[in-house]
Amino acid sequence: MVRRIVHARVGAHPSADDLVQETLTRVLAASATIEPGMLEPYAIVTARNVVASMWRDADRKRRNQHRVLDLSTPDAPETQIVQGEEQSAMATALARLSERERRTLLDHEVAGTDTRTLAEREGSSAGAVAAQLNRTRARLRVEYLLALEQVQPPTERCRPVLIALSSGDQRRQREVHAAQHLLECDPCARLSRPLLERGQQRDDTLRIPVTGDPDIVAARVAARELAARLRFGTSDLTLIATAVSEVCRNIVRFAGSGEVVVELLETPRRGIRVVARDGGPGIPDVERALDDGFSTYGGLGLGLPGARRLMDEFAIVSEAGHGTTVTMTKWERTNDG
Amino acid sequence: MNGGPALVSILRQGSNLIASVHTALDDSQLVRFEHDLVEQIGEHRSQGVIIDVAALDVIDSFAALTLRRIAEMARLSGARTVIVGIPPDVAFTMARLGMGTAEVPTALDLEEGLRLLAEHATGSHPTHSPSGAEPDW
Amino acid sequence: MDDRLEERPDLTASAADLALQHPADGEHLLSQLVAHLREHRTRLRHEWAERIQQAHLLTAMTPQEVSAETTSVYDNYVEVLETGSVEALQHYARDLSERIIPRGVETHEVVGIVLLLRDVLARSLFEKYQRDFALLNEVLDAYEPAANRIANTVAVSFVDERERVIRQQQDAIRELSTPVLPVRERLLILPIIGVLDSERARQLTEQLLTGIRRHRARVVVIDITGSPDVDESVANHLVQTVDASRLMGASVIITGLSPKIAQTLVTIGVDLGKMNTIGDLQGGLEEAERLLGYTVTRKGGSTSS
Repeated sequence: MVRRIVHARVGAHPSADDLVQETLTRVLAASATIEPGMLEPYAIVTARNVVASMWRDADRKRRNQHRVLDLSTPDAPETQIVQGEEQSAMATALARLSERERRTLLDHEVAGTDTRTLAEREGSSAGAVAAQLNRTRARLRVEYLLALEQVQPPTERCRPVLIALSSGDQRRQREVHAAQHLLECDPCARLSRPLLERGQQRDDTLRIPVTGDPDIVAARVAARELAARLRFGTSDLTLIATAVSEVCRNIVRFAGSGEVVVELLETPRRGIRVVARDGGPGIPDVERALDDGFSTYGGLGLGLPGARRLMDEFAIVSEAGHGTTVTMTKWERTNDG
Repeated sequence: MNGGPALVSILRQGSNLIASVHTALDDSQLVRFEHDLVEQIGEHRSQGVIIDVAALDVIDSFAALTLRRIAEMARLSGARTVIVGIPPDVAFTMARLGMGTAEVPTALDLEEGLRLLAEHATGSHPTHSPSGAEPDW
Repeated sequence: MDDRLEERPDLTASAADLALQHPADGEHLLSQLVAHLREHRTRLRHEWAERIQQAHLLTAMTPQEVSAETTSVYDNYVEVLETGSVEALQHYARDLSERIIPRGVETHEVVGIVLLLRDVLARSLFEKYQRDFALLNEVLDAYEPAANRIANTVAVSFVDERERVIRQQQDAIRELSTPVLPVRERLLILPIIGVLDSERARQLTEQLLTGIRRHRARVVVIDITGSPDVDESVANHLVQTVDASRLMGASVIITGLSPKIAQTLVTIGVDLGKMNTIGDLQGGLEEAERLLGYTVTRKGGSTSS
């Protein structure tokens, strides 16, 4: 979506690609300081903000201003140099990906093309595309670090080990004897630190700040992608994305801001849990809010009751003056899939 | 549209307007879309409006409400609206949400939508409206 | 012939033993009977296998398979005579049936081999006790009811198993075949046969919705004549399927709605007036053709408005 805007507004390709690159640089630069689980939503939000700052629409620009400031570092001279280095490392890293990897990643992270659309284009499944994207991200992180540190991996084994660490795939890490390699190889030991710190954070949890309309889309897209890692069919993925959309809208409309945490579950069964939280005024009459057709803003009144119908489990806790928490779960089907 | 060609395109074809949504839209973008489309319907005195939503990832309660509002406004301007391109998974989700008995006519795709408008214009065969009944607005 | 000669001395010896023990006691007769059958297992089994071959039974199986199965049947048979409990035999017979049904073994063959075994064993008893007619009668009196019970058990187990396999195959066929039938251009029929649970209802819905897109259907006839009853959750699902089909631009006609299902629909708050329901499939198809404009076009004559 954003890529379209970029192209539409800025026109020329080099300029659009610069923006794309700038976005990824910011995301990766911020990745040391933000919670790694939030990397993907940040990518989406950042992309939008980078582009938003170019928009001629003054109102929109003003509205998004705070986000750009939040994410960008102060423009001190040394920071600019650092940013320049990061940007060039990012460019090098991107160049080391295959054309297909790069295109898919950029279309997805920056243009907001969903995995389903990408899958149709590639003649593959949404789940496969999501898995491929994860591998590409893992590789990009490694290549970025290598370029930034200007390290040439000393052995053939270095890259596979680093990529396995970067992806957080423990089975793969065992296969390539990652732990042993880190004992033997100094450069990898050094490079692995930021990758491992990242890996400690759970890869199966997403935390998405919700402060405005665009975040509703970002949250549902991110939730769909995470859910696509399980054996959910297209219908279930759409049910989940729609339920997330509804609860996020409630946050924006009634509390102004909040967050959504999407988490993959392993026990008691495989599934996905969505927790939408806000510190808003709370819902005075939860029972009534769950009635079909009850709306306080002229909507269809299907938001909460609808979300409840879409998911397998649904719970809502609300306290006047202290906000609302909606917890909902969808289980992976046990038989076929 | 003054927002550029990116999110939605609105084309004129004879007395009809064809609006295609190209990507996921957030609420404010939906509101803008509604505003732009309704404006153009009035401007061109369109008789028929087709909204192609095949590229929407999700049609949640707000998107459905927006589509209904557009159809209602179009009707007030004397135009008939057909929603086309709802994918199977989105249709199923909408039905689960309880938005299934939408009063707005729907058709499989652009071609079917145009056929529906043409039939309506010649007054033939009105029973095709997907809800099996003419919308009362 | 060889083992027959070898066993001869044993035969006479046990006959002598038998005569010395409590001849009038049925239970003791049976246990001696069992001892006899165990003792001459190899020879009797061999005879039995020959008779099976002569009768052209179990021709679908290899001699090795026949040999393995007859050994097991023989042992189970003797065990039932000994314990009086058919439970183990029932279990074995079901297992056996499961193995041989896919090979095309027929009910009459299974009944046939068990009756043959009964005869082979009876003949050997005859041979053994022929010199003592009174004892022979007693032995046969004890043996025959047990033997008949065994034959009955095997036959019933086989038929049960056969029915189960057939049901399973029907289910599998139902699962495999796409239930969405394109009848003519733009017209799909979804016949719903058998008991619907939520999972199957979900599958049918997905198949129907993707079918609508694939066949570019304008009209869908959902025929639920074959489904006598549904619970509320499945009824809800049915309504959602109708709604989702409409959202994809297809009109839905429901045929064969039983009064029971209609009642369930009303109970969950469905306005049947908004559903296009027609009594039978034939009428539904006519309505579908009318909607598709193949017959006289009516103006504003929707059945559901």
